[in-house]
Amino acid sequence: MPLPRCTLALANETGHASNPGSALATVISLTNSDDSALVREAQAGNRAAFEELVHRYDRDVLRLALNLMKRTEDARDVYQEAFLKVYRNLHRFRFECSFYTWLYRIVTNVCLDHLRRRQARPEDQAPELHATQQEEAGTDFFERQREQRPTLDPERHLLGQEIKRRLASAMERLSPRERIVFEMKHYQGLKLRAIGDALGTSEETVKNSLFRATRKLRNELGELR
Amino acid sequence: MNPSAETTSCAEIAPLLVFYVCDELTEEERAQVEKHLAVCDECRAQLSEEREFQGALGDQPSAGDLLDPSGLLLSQCRSELAERLDDLVRPPVKDRVAGFGWMRRWMVLHPAWSAATLVLLGLAAGVQSTQWLSPSSDIAAIEPVNVRPNPRFTEDQLSKMEVAGINFAPAAGSGSQNVRVQMSAEQPVELSGSLDDSDVRSVLTYVVKNGERFDSGVRLDCLDALKARAADFQVRAAFLAAARKDQNPAVRLKALEALRDSTSEHDVRETLLDALKHDSNPGVRVEAVNLLVRSLDNQSVEIFTVSEPAPPMVQVGHLPPAAAGQIPADESLRNVIRTLEDLQSNDPSRYVRLRSAAALREINARNEQ
Repeated sequence: MPLPRCTLALANETGHASNPGSALATVISLTNSDDSALVREAQAGNRAAFEELVHRYDRDVLRLALNLMKRTEDARDVYQEAFLKVYRNLHRFRFECSFYTWLYRIVTNVCLDHLRRRQARPEDQAPELHATQQEEAGTDFFERQREQRPTLDPERHLLGQEIKRRLASAMERLSPRERIVFEMKHYQGLKLRAIGDALGTSEETVKNSLFRATRKLRNELGELR
Repeated sequence: MNPSAETTSCAEIAPLLVFYVCDELTEEERAQVEKHLAVCDECRAQLSEEREFQGALGDQPSAGDLLDPSGLLLSQCRSELAERLDDLVRPPVKDRVAGFGWMRRWMVLHPAWSAATLVLLGLAAGVQSTQWLSPSSDIAAIEPVNVRPNPRFTEDQLSKMEVAGINFAPAAGSGSQNVRVQMSAEQPVELSGSLDDSDVRSVLTYVVKNGERFDSGVRLDCLDALKARAADFQVRAAFLAAARKDQNPAVRLKALEALRDSTSEHDVRETLLDALKHDSNPGVRVEAVNLLVRSLDNQSVEIFTVSEPAPPMVQVGHLPPAAAGQIPADESLRNVIRTLEDLQSNDPSRYVRLRSAAALREINARNEQ
C-alpha cells in the first residue's frame, strides 16, 4: 500500500502539500480526508466505517506482523490485538497525526510487546527455531525462497545455505527495536522519520538502531565474504 | 585513504555509507560522502559491499509474501476480528439488569431482610403456582402445537432450488441469529427464521453439501450460519463433504474451521488427514495440521512399548529415535503419526513440515513423561 507510506513521509517532511510532488500530495490529502471522514463515522459508532478503515490498512499490518513475527499464529494474534486496540481507543484519536501513523504506532507497540515476551520466554520459540530443525529445514527467515532441489554446484549451494542460516541467526539476536526498525526500513520501505513517528521516538534513535542492526548482520557474514 | 580526500576521514564517512545506500542522508551529508568517494578507493569498495549486502536482503521475499500467498490468512483474520467486534458490541449482561441494581445494593446491605423476603416470595410463588398449574376446564381451548412440522421442502425441491442471497440479523429477544434466504424452488421464496427452524437448516445444509451448484459466497455464508450447529449430525456431514470436495479453498478452509470442536471424532480426523494428503492448497493444509495437532492435545496418546507385541501391519517408519520403539495403541493415532511423518519430510509447505515435526516431538515427549 504505497500511498499511505508516502502520506506518512510527506506529512512529516512538509506538514502540507507543496513543490515537486504536488499532484501526489493532492491525492494523498484526498486519502487523508477520506480517512478522516471514516474515522469520524467510526468514532460515532458506525461499524461499517470502522471495517472500511480496517480493510484499507490491514493487508500492510498483517504483512508487517508476518515479517516481524515469522509465524502465522503470532501474526494473527498481533492483527487481532492491534485492531481491537484501535477499536477500543478510536474515541481518543484527535487527528493530531494521520490515522495511518496512529495505527502503525499501535501495531508496532503490539509487535514490540510480542517480540519482548518471546525473548523473555525462549521456551515459547517456534519449532523452526530449534537448532536441529534449522539443520534440516534451513531457517525461518531466509529459507523462504525456493524448494530445496539438487543443484549443479553443491559448494555454492552450501555456501548460500550457510549465509542464510547465519543471517537468520543474527536476526534473532537483534533487539526487538532493532528488528522492527530493520524490517520497517527494508521490507516496508518506510523512511526513518516515519519509522520514528510510528515508534514514538526520534529519527536519530531510529538511525542508530538501523546502523547497529545492519552492522550485526554484516558481521555475522564477515567470515564468509 | 587517498591523501587528496583530506577534508573528511574514512572513519567519518564509513558510518554514513549504510544510510547513503538506503537514501537516508541529508543533501549536505550526501555531498560530503560523494566528494570523499570520488577520491577514496577503500570507501568505494566498502560502499560496493554495502550495496551488495542490502541488495541481497532486498532479493529475499518477505515472510508476509510467503506465509500468506493466497490471502487466506488475511481473510481469516478479518472474519475473526468481525466476530470479536460482534462480541464487543453485544450489550453486557449487567446493562440488561441495570434496573435491578438498587435491589442488589439493598440486598447486600440488608442480608437478613433479604433472606426473609426471598423466602416469603418463594412461598407465595409456590402457593400461587399450584393454582396456575392445576388442570383447567379450558384445556380444550388451548390450540395444539405441532412440535415437529413437516419440512416445507422435499429433497427433490431442494435439488432444483437456486439461492440468490443470504442475510443475517440478530433475532429479537435471543442471542441467536435470524437467517433470511432469498431462493427460488418452484417459485421465488424468501425463507426466514432461526437455525432452530428445520427448513432453514435443511436449505443451508443442502447448499454446503452440494457446493458445486451454488455461488461460493453463498456457500461461505451458509457455512457461517451453520457453524453454531456443527454438533448436529447432518450439519457435520455437510461440513465434512465441503471440506473434502468443495472446489473453492476458502470454503474448504471454513468447513475445516467449523469442525474445530469435533476434531477427536473419527470421521473428522479422517477428513483432516485426507486434506493433509491430498489438498493442493497450503492454507487448507495448514488449518488441517493445526486442527490435527489440536485433536492430539485433547487426547491422551496411549502407547505400546516395544516390549509388548506390536499389532501386525504397523510400520513405524521415520519416527524420531526415541519414539521409534513405541507404537500408539489406537489405529487412528497410528495413522495420524504415519501421516505426520510423511508430512514432516514431504509437504511443500514449510509451516506444515515444521508443525508436523513439532507434533511428533510432542507425542514423543508425552510418552517419555
